[in-house]
Amino acid sequence: MKILIIEDNAELVYDLVQFLASYGYICQAAKTFAIAKEKIELYNYDLFVIDIGLPDGNGLELINSIKKIEYNSGIIIVTAKNAIEDKVRGLDLGADDYLTKPFHKEELNARIRSILRRNKFERNNEVFFNEMKIDLLAAQVFVNDKETVLTKKEYDLLLYFIDNKNRVITKESIAEHLWGDHIDQTDNFDFIYNHIKNLRKKIISNGGKDYIQSMYGMGYKFTE
Amino acid sequence: MKQRRQIKLLTKTTSIYLVFTFAAFFFSALFLINETDEYINSELDRRYQWTEGKIISDIKKYGEVRKKRSYAIVSNIEKMPKHSTFPIYKDSLIQNEERESKLLYRKKTTFIDVDGRFFKVEMIQNISDFNRLQSDILGSLIPAFIILAIVIVLFNYFLSGYFFNPFNKILNQIKNYEVGKGSSVPNILTSTAEFSKMQQLFCNMVERTEREYTTLKEYTENMAHEIQTPLTIIRNKTDNLISNETVMNTQSSSVKIIYDEVNHLSKLGTALNLLTKIEHGEFSNKTVLHTKELIIKHVDSVTELAGLKGLKFELNLSNSHSINIDPILFDIILKNLVKNGLNYATNEGSIKIATDDKSLTISNYGSPLEFPNEKIFSRFSKENGSSSSVGLGLALVNKICQRNNLRIDYLYQDQQHYFIISKNPQ
Repeated sequence: MKILIIEDNAELVYDLVQFLASYGYICQAAKTFAIAKEKIELYNYDLFVIDIGLPDGNGLELINSIKKIEYNSGIIIVTAKNAIEDKVRGLDLGADDYLTKPFHKEELNARIRSILRRNKFERNNEVFFNEMKIDLLAAQVFVNDKETVLTKKEYDLLLYFIDNKNRVITKESIAEHLWGDHIDQTDNFDFIYNHIKNLRKKIISNGGKDYIQSMYGMGYKFTE
Repeated sequence: MKQRRQIKLLTKTTSIYLVFTFAAFFFSALFLINETDEYINSELDRRYQWTEGKIISDIKKYGEVRKKRSYAIVSNIEKMPKHSTFPIYKDSLIQNEERESKLLYRKKTTFIDVDGRFFKVEMIQNISDFNRLQSDILGSLIPAFIILAIVIVLFNYFLSGYFFNPFNKILNQIKNYEVGKGSSVPNILTSTAEFSKMQQLFCNMVERTEREYTTLKEYTENMAHEIQTPLTIIRNKTDNLISNETVMNTQSSSVKIIYDEVNHLSKLGTALNLLTKIEHGEFSNKTVLHTKELIIKHVDSVTELAGLKGLKFELNLSNSHSINIDPILFDIILKNLVKNGLNYATNEGSIKIATDDKSLTISNYGSPLEFPNEKIFSRFSKENGSSSSVGLGLALVNKICQRNNLRIDYLYQDQQHYFIISKNPQ
């Protein structure tokens, strides 16, 4: 799976490349509009992560070039500006998703997974994890082939954990993933504990293992 | 600020001018009347002396007054009266047969001594004409003053608009000037030195304000925007540390603090940027919003969050409540007031949102503030226990209300915090 990260800040690029590589992606980076354009034309990628604010051009303009060459590639746009117009324009041009800086890397990973699953070449509607199976189309979870009824939030949480397994995910990251913009509405993320507790209980009650570990009071880790 | 009664400048100068003109006319009239009096007296004296002289010369020549005069009566007396009040002057109306009307005459009664003989002489002189001179003076001065006053008042009324037109235009420019909306002020042609000077000063002030505004705006925007990339890097690096067990086993508390503070800083940047944008009036797409649907929608989206904290909402919404505001700003108001409720409410009762024709009230149970009520809308005034809160939410709400002709009130009553937003009386 090849990903091109178009971002001008070297440190951010380094972090993202390292992070995504740890999940088995092949990552390349382009730090300017010109380099990005060249790479888009020369190589094939499954997904593009584009920072809109490039020093030598507007990242939105790259979307058209990508769509001409690789129509099925996924595109996630990233911007430091919390500007709704950019978001709307990017999605209109054909971007699949949108992230605002600063974002959690796990969130980026989850979005990438989601796009790749939707991608017509993969079109993988089932996610497996040991004794668990998630049917993405029906939004159903099976533990040891027994259907486990989860709430919408618990379902999202489980998928987020599986997408980011073996990694400490902070409470902030979970809260933002589950509640999106509405997470602004609270300054205290302790309530996440309730969701975790319920999810854990439901998996265990169907004979599943307890995969969720609390880490240093900062977050949780989903380990095999 | 103590204010004195406001009077228009031109009305003021005109009134003072009229008072001085009246005084000038009054003293001129006094002077002229005095002058005419003196003239009349000296003229009459001259005539009386002439008559007296004639009488004396008649008596000296002929021993008596030969010619009977209608204006002088001479009678013999034994001795001179000792009265020092003589001669006596007396004005009276006497019927004039020729003119068939009563005329004003002045009678002079005096005593003369001609070669040891004493005579009482009563002379009369017609002073009607002289008197007419006096009334003619007043009769010309008073209308002149009245005409002048009317002309001045009319001038004030009709021409003040013309003369003060440039002044009013400059005032309008000052009134309508909004910082950050175009830096040049159109020049207003005027030949009045004071107005021209005022305009020049205003232009200089605008230039200075705009310059400072731009600098400040750039600074805050840069701070808010550019700070996000380094913050993202710090957060990512901290994320890496969090995933590193060796580090976390020894430094988890420090890493946690760094992580929390970076998140705090990031939120702070976003909130300050928003506050600055609102202060600069960037959200000006005003529309009449019917709030009921919007409130229900927002409450729906946070009911679950509230539920996790054991809190409930109680809505009592009116169909007719509306606010004229940019939808983004109303969203910020609603979000922040509800957030405030969610953060500080205790479980004694619901978070209530009520609207009627005129106002929107959000209330929740909670302990009293730890700081004075009037500081609740100040930036960064927050309860000690809530260090994770940025402390700008209510300041944002307050700023939006100020800029949108809304009034926000806070009160604490029956263990409940009330925030009431109402339309400012126009």
